[in-house]
Amino acid sequence: MSWRRVFMILGLVVAAYALLAPLTSLDPAQSAGVPLLADRLWFRIATFIAMFIVMATAWNIIGGITGYAAFGNVAFFGIGAYTTGMLIAKAKWPFLAALPFAPVVAALFAALVGLPLLRLRGHYFAVASLGVGVAVGELVQNIDYNGQPLFGGASGLFLPIYAVDNRGLFFFYVMVAAAALAIAVTWWVLRSRFGYGLIAIRENEEAASVLGVNTTAYKVAAFALAAALTGLAGGIFSQWNVFINQDNAFPIEYNVQMILMALLGGTGTVFGPAAGAVLLQLLIQFLGGSLPMSMNLPFVSDAARPIVAQVILGVLLVMVVIFVPRGVIDFFGGRTRLSLAYLRRSLRETSL
Amino acid sequence: MSVAVAPQLELRGVTKRFGGVAAVDGVSFEVARGDIVGVIGPNGAGKTTLLNCISGVYHLDGGDILLNGTSIAGMAPHRVARLGIGRTFQIVKPFGSMTARENVGIGALFGSEHERRGVRESFALADEVLELVGLKAKADHPVTALTIPDRKRLEVARAVATRPQLLLLDEVMAGLNNVEIDEALDMVRAVHATGVTVVLIEHVMRVIVGVCRRAVVLDSGQVLAQGEPEVVLRDERVIQAYLGERYAKRLKS
Repeated sequence: MSWRRVFMILGLVVAAYALLAPLTSLDPAQSAGVPLLADRLWFRIATFIAMFIVMATAWNIIGGITGYAAFGNVAFFGIGAYTTGMLIAKAKWPFLAALPFAPVVAALFAALVGLPLLRLRGHYFAVASLGVGVAVGELVQNIDYNGQPLFGGASGLFLPIYAVDNRGLFFFYVMVAAAALAIAVTWWVLRSRFGYGLIAIRENEEAASVLGVNTTAYKVAAFALAAALTGLAGGIFSQWNVFINQDNAFPIEYNVQMILMALLGGTGTVFGPAAGAVLLQLLIQFLGGSLPMSMNLPFVSDAARPIVAQVILGVLLVMVVIFVPRGVIDFFGGRTRLSLAYLRRSLRETSL
Repeated sequence: MSVAVAPQLELRGVTKRFGGVAAVDGVSFEVARGDIVGVIGPNGAGKTTLLNCISGVYHLDGGDILLNGTSIAGMAPHRVARLGIGRTFQIVKPFGSMTARENVGIGALFGSEHERRGVRESFALADEVLELVGLKAKADHPVTALTIPDRKRLEVARAVATRPQLLLLDEVMAGLNNVEIDEALDMVRAVHATGVTVVLIEHVMRVIVGVCRRAVVLDSGQVLAQGEPEVVLRDERVIQAYLGERYAKRLKS
């Protein structure tokens, strides 16, 4: 049996387990004596994984397919979270009515800042987008209106709890639906005229423009599309978490994590970022000590775990960029075999 | 009543400055429909700058450029491309992650204003163009596997796939050996035979004499001479500017 088939079967089993295990917590299943395969903690971790699948897959559209390394996409997550959060908390809208505005507002904001930002290339774009990501979080926390913080200020924004049975289960599946949407959008993009234009921009922007690609419009559209999906995840997060503030709606570390996930899985591919999100989020949860099978790390106190986790992520980023520049999806797809020769070749090519 | 037919491409006093240096300084000439025109000149004469002005990569500092009597000055490159001006780059700029067919397909997908093609249609057109330039057998090769002459062909094929009425070729023969130049000349003739007007920027004299009906000589950003290639190349000022005085003397003796 080829490695490719082993990976595919393994992936399907994991996906089926992740998607179906939560159902065992439903009352009918419990009364029928089905063993509980997933508890509340698992819902939370699984929902986080789905959330990062959305963010990494969305980042891939601008960062992987278009080749613009956006380091501030968490701004769109936060904008989505606060859009839905404000509509629910202040305007008393129901969740499902407020949710569609999260991607719309995030995309409009991306188009607005994208017009000037996307004129920059390379490191300049990366740094400028990082600046936007940080600035938006600060603005949201500090804008006052009539002496009152407009968006809840430093004390954050509390949302009414969404009245639905099996809340954990509900939000898990909503987030999985968002992840499926992000993957489907990527699949469509890579087969469309739009996607070919974006790849042409990534490979050589000047050549793309003289062949008729409206590079400005395409870049802004890609940025806005990534923002819309990221904002959608933020909107779901706000109602799921019930409380949002600058720390959990604009976490700077998400910027690095979603990029690392896309790189680890394979940029520019349909499933790469999702695979990377699953692997990396599990690792983050393991290192953070919140997985049931998390064990004590030698020489590391519990208090130091988050810091050690960050260090390990940093080292991993370097290793991935140097040794697996095309991501692990290359191995899953059977196009490449993981071998010492592959790692050596990657090292040679990336150190040019 | 006679109607004056506007030349396909008309440059009127085109000027482009970089800081204090006028790289292109008041260049005016016309290109008639169906012509093959060579633009020659020594290094730094402003040939590539001029081409960048026409294709919209640079903004003009003065003058005007007309396509079929309508100004295209100040238009973005993608709009110029869709109006029917295709171009290549002297240093080839292939889309590295794509196959030869996909590279050419981009031109077919985006190059035309009016006839918008789908992805599948565009790739079918790409195959036709690849056949025209002699790259059909390598359609599925990744660009990175192509030789330099093949990459130059691909550069031309991409521009041809936009279905241009006017094709600007920037030193497509540079760096090729004699056999390869002959093959490339055949390719240019084949493209021209499909009804495309061609402007060739060239260093290689043989190319200008071989295919061009008219030549424009640039020096220090200005038009030094223009006319039939054989006549222009015998012009003493041209020989001095382009080939140097030593060569001019040797030619005389």
